[in-house]
Amino acid sequence: MKDTDSFNATLAAATCALLGSSVATPVVAAEEAGRWSFDSTLLYYGESDDRVSDVSAAVSALRNFGDDRKLSATLTADTLTGASPSGAIALDRPQTFTSPSGRAAYTTSAGDVPLDDTFLDTRFALNASWTQPLARLYMFSAGFGFSTEYDYTHLGANLSLARDFNKRNTTVSAGVAYSQDDIDPVGGRPLPLSQMLDVGDNSNKRDGSESKDVLDLLLGFTQVLNRTTVLRVNYSYSDSSGYLNDPYKLLSVVDPVTGDTLTRTPGGLGPDGVYLFESRPDTRTKQSLYTEVKHSFGAPVMHFAYRYMTDDWGIDSHTGEVRLRWPLGDGYIEPQLRYYTQSAADFYHASLVAGTAVPRYASADFRLGDFDATTVGIKYGHDTSSGNEWSIRAEYYQQNGSVPREQIVGNQANREQYPDLSAVIVQFGYRFKL
Amino acid sequence: MKASCAATLTRDADHWTGRFVAMASPCEILIEEAPASLAQEILDAVSSEAWRIERKYSRYRGDSMVHRINERAGQETVVDDECANLLDFAATLTRLSEGAFDITSGVLRKAWTFDGGEQVPSQAQIDALLEQVGWHKVAWRRPALALRAGMQIDLGGIGKEYAVDCAADLVQSIAPGLSCLINFGGDVAVRNPRGDRKPWRVGIESCARSGTAQRVVQLSRGALATSGDSRRFVFRGGHRYSHILDARTGWPVRNAPHSITVAADTCTQAGTITTLAMLRGEDAERMLRSSGMQYWLQ
Repeated sequence: MKDTDSFNATLAAATCALLGSSVATPVVAAEEAGRWSFDSTLLYYGESDDRVSDVSAAVSALRNFGDDRKLSATLTADTLTGASPSGAIALDRPQTFTSPSGRAAYTTSAGDVPLDDTFLDTRFALNASWTQPLARLYMFSAGFGFSTEYDYTHLGANLSLARDFNKRNTTVSAGVAYSQDDIDPVGGRPLPLSQMLDVGDNSNKRDGSESKDVLDLLLGFTQVLNRTTVLRVNYSYSDSSGYLNDPYKLLSVVDPVTGDTLTRTPGGLGPDGVYLFESRPDTRTKQSLYTEVKHSFGAPVMHFAYRYMTDDWGIDSHTGEVRLRWPLGDGYIEPQLRYYTQSAADFYHASLVAGTAVPRYASADFRLGDFDATTVGIKYGHDTSSGNEWSIRAEYYQQNGSVPREQIVGNQANREQYPDLSAVIVQFGYRFKL
Repeated sequence: MKASCAATLTRDADHWTGRFVAMASPCEILIEEAPASLAQEILDAVSSEAWRIERKYSRYRGDSMVHRINERAGQETVVDDECANLLDFAATLTRLSEGAFDITSGVLRKAWTFDGGEQVPSQAQIDALLEQVGWHKVAWRRPALALRAGMQIDLGGIGKEYAVDCAADLVQSIAPGLSCLINFGGDVAVRNPRGDRKPWRVGIESCARSGTAQRVVQLSRGALATSGDSRRFVFRGGHRYSHILDARTGWPVRNAPHSITVAADTCTQAGTITTLAMLRGEDAERMLRSSGMQYWLQ
């Protein structure tokens, strides 16, 4: 201690002699740690033709405890309203269906794609994670997620470890995530490929919840190529097992000549056509490869990403995205373009043809069909003088799908088989510190 | 040379920012609310001061005082007061570091290249160079300095922090009480708190991702200096040797922290402590802790 005192005194005296009489006043410095920073967003998503609309509010809180130790938590509330296609095909006559609850019926007008309009849901989600160095060059992170909506509960946990190499220009990471979801469909869970029954007849439905387990493995590689370019490559493997059906999705059973849905005489209130509930395999294995390049041209930053995904349901997808962040005044403007294309699942059937063998797995869910989608968007962010940032983002999404020619029967050729979808997304964001 | 001698002044939300290049570093001065003419006057004075110190003490410039001293090794050179003060200060650091810090150690760079590779000189090479190293071999009788033939001095280890303090004092004399942040390549000083009581925010660059601030230090008054080896080192036998050489052994310091940042009243003090702590290698943190100074390691 004495040595230290004399060291400091000697240094202070030597500095004073060097810099002259102008003795500086004592230092006042503090690390900016222990501050919470928040990122709040309000998002509106609206599909054309009054289909689904979603209002979502999210708040993320991040606290830096110094020494690279960070806690982050995100709370999200979502409200979905509207209607989504049930999977049944459009006809030249009105169609009546039993609602998922089994307690009412609804009718779709002639020429319209049948939508299940009992779609209304509120979802709450909480995600939290903790990140800290484990040893020099090692970064560890652990997190959990929970979400709940009226027929669905999700619980998940994840761990990851990253190590830096090569003067910290290279980072290799590995992660594992596991989740368990419980599905408790309204009105019970229909037996796969069973027929839609009259209102009040629940003999093809089972009560109680089903679960789905998902295991994800992730390998990541990040390389700083030079002072202006960073490359990231991620490989992920995902294995889902359990109840993978959508309990509300249907397939129309059609006449092999006309292509129209077979009629059925309801024994009271109930469907006037033959509709089967979908059936999906109870496992799904997905693999994806993601590549991202970030390059800065001085202040403008370009982001390019490509993802290839393939699964054992026969779906292959490609996603390409380009964003360019351009400084503008006290903020930036960021145009964005994304293109997505996927092939249909092996068991995708726009309808089932009467008289042919019923396949083991079948779904007419458009999301398992062949489609592509383009998103164009623009974001403007503004930095306030107090160091906060607000932003607004607007996107337009256009999806076009098609049904394979060999699946189109008779009159179906004259009708829209895969309705196009467009959607508008508007998001406000405000990032601030407390 | 002229190209780098341009200083630019821009108006930001609540301060002025002046930029120029000196001592092979990007230099910056942030000036709180002030008339444009005053901001320009301060920038001109600060940039001129930085270039003056660079011209006078750079060992690479044929017209510098350090160059003249080195050229005249073997004979006596009379130096001015400022140079004499710097030499006295350097001698104090040599004493405080028990010889590890030494302004005559620059000749060792003939043997060491710090390019991230594994190139290591032979002990014989180092021993030969050590013949020319050691402040105790120098005849320093203020104001006359005589190096032995073959010896050289290099004030690079203290020049930049000294320049920051000189610039800060100069601003004090032009606009007493005005708050300015002076930043010469990561060595920073503030003499007065800002009128709006808000601290200046100084980002400490992360070793991992250059260009991104890993930590932010709020500095109301005082100085910060950083010493690091994120881009200059030698790897050998599983050890990482920093670019900082121990003048006693001629070898780089082993297993020092990647980067040390210290807060002190003046930039010169802060810089001295980072340098002396680096020279302690593995013991750097122990020394910093006992110094009672605020510090940040990476």
